[in-house]
Amino acid sequence: MAGPVQQVEVRWRPSRHARRLLTLALAALLLATLTRRPELVGVAAPALLLLGAALPGRAGRPGRPARLAVRVGLASSRLYEGELAAVDLAVDDTRFDTRWLFEAGRGVEPASATAANGAAARFEFTVPRWGSRQLGSATLVLHDPWRLTEGRAQLVLPAVDCYPEPAVERTRVVLSRLPNRLGEHAARVPGEGTEFAGVREYVPGDRQRAINWPASTRLGRLQVNTFAAERSQDIVLVVDATSDVGPPGTSALDLGLRGAAGAARAYLDGRDRVGVICYQWGGARWLAPSLGRRQFYKIIDTMLSADAGWGRGETFSRLPRAALPPGALVVVFSPLLDQRFVETLRDMRERGFGLFVVDVLNTVPPPRRTFSDAMTRRIWQMEQQAIRFSLRELGVPVVHWDGAAPLDLPLAPYARRPLVVHR
Amino acid sequence: MSAPRALAAAGTAAPRLAAVLLGAACVAWTAVPPRHTGLATLALVASIIAVVTGALRLALADVPQPEEGFFPTAPVRAWLTFLAVLRGLPWEEIAVVALLWLEVQHPVRPWHTAALGFGLVAYLLAVHIAESGAPAGRLLRRQAKVLLAGACLLALGAGFAMLPAAAPGAGSALLRVLAAAAVVAAAALVLPGRD
Repeated sequence: MAGPVQQVEVRWRPSRHARRLLTLALAALLLATLTRRPELVGVAAPALLLLGAALPGRAGRPGRPARLAVRVGLASSRLYEGELAAVDLAVDDTRFDTRWLFEAGRGVEPASATAANGAAARFEFTVPRWGSRQLGSATLVLHDPWRLTEGRAQLVLPAVDCYPEPAVERTRVVLSRLPNRLGEHAARVPGEGTEFAGVREYVPGDRQRAINWPASTRLGRLQVNTFAAERSQDIVLVVDATSDVGPPGTSALDLGLRGAAGAARAYLDGRDRVGVICYQWGGARWLAPSLGRRQFYKIIDTMLSADAGWGRGETFSRLPRAALPPGALVVVFSPLLDQRFVETLRDMRERGFGLFVVDVLNTVPPPRRTFSDAMTRRIWQMEQQAIRFSLRELGVPVVHWDGAAPLDLPLAPYARRPLVVHR
Repeated sequence: MSAPRALAAAGTAAPRLAAVLLGAACVAWTAVPPRHTGLATLALVASIIAVVTGALRLALADVPQPEEGFFPTAPVRAWLTFLAVLRGLPWEEIAVVALLWLEVQHPVRPWHTAALGFGLVAYLLAVHIAESGAPAGRLLRRQAKVLLAGACLLALGAGFAMLPAAAPGAGSALLRVLAAAAVVAAAALVLPGRD
């Protein structure tokens, strides 16, 4: 695959093979001289002949270029967790025996052999966990036809953005009150949609094709079918990046990002406007709700730039107003470990937003033998239960998601009928 | 395992196995008949260790270096040290020097030494093919003429050793060594370096 050309510097030196042959020749000659045994000179002969035949200036020896043009092509600079991707490497100069060595960067796992011979090579890799990753480096090893001189060039491979693998979500939680905007969700008000809502008496101006003839014949007056209006809703996904607990790969932040990505895809497929807020230390990164496929990638880019570090900066309790359009459904992915974040949720609920919390906490403190540790653990668990209970009391549904099952499963009780939000 | 993968694995394993077998053959060839002087025993042990460790290096060539963590556990640290020693030291060079040293501990045996020389060159070639993945057939075809000339010079060296000395004494033996070295140097300079 053609890719951008990099000019790399080649460092030439005797190969390991040449150094070994030289060792053999010198050791044999030295021992021959010391022990006065001519047969040891014969032992040195093949090695000396090979080294002599490859001396610079001999016929058939290609020159040693100081720089070479190398093409580096990535199958894709964006991939999902665990997705197989490949990097293609090629060098134009074919006078040398070429070998490529691929050294994967941190967080990148090779999925094919890490060494290949030939002017072009393809190395496959996967990235098991989301994030921006340096792909690593590749070493180009050039050998002359005699394999006695070796040229090495180091290439820094480009970075790839690994997106969290979106959770499986096909059903959607829909609010009972939807903004007056054309969409795909059947609203409670009559309109021009396709979902049958009821039958009413004909009034002048109604469409003739909406007349329900069986009902009209039965009642003796003209009756028309009415349909539900189809509206879209605003969805704001809130990802709590203040606490990242659990084993890497299935931590709370991992599940939060995967869940948010799955929800973003599901709602955008339903022509809803989706935005995101990453709640983190020192501020929030957010993206106003919008439509379309492009918005999906913008949402993930916003989430990837969230800082989940342990550096505690200043915090805030109110989320940005511009990121929260009135009447939006706010879907929160959080382990609910940070009290200030919980206060922010309560504040949002008091401002009248429809909230839905997906609890992504899947780890507990390890059990200890001492009484005080066990007691602390118990108190911590009770505190967590109290937080969830207090949110439910405020009318905020809290569902638990383990990350393994589809997100549809915990959402099922709320996806069957519109979610009523008392303001 | 699918057929192409099995073929690829066999293609990688064959040169490594050849290198190990050639190394073992060189050690056995040199060690027989056993010599029990101190230096001979030391050279034999050193050559065995070097050949075995070289074989291990080839066998573990595809094992990636573990990522460095902040607090590696004792087994991880031991494994990292083992890999560093395995990959850092020139085991083949050590083996070659030890084998030659072991050979000179024996009484003069020209044809035996010549065969050892050929075995050592073959061992080094096999190691290079195994570690670099170079196509063996093409590489040997390119170097066939030079290797053939080398074999002739090996035989010539052995022949020099079998010539009766013109005069008794160390000077005569040294003269034969110098004559053999001159023949080898002349051949190396005259031989055209074509593929």
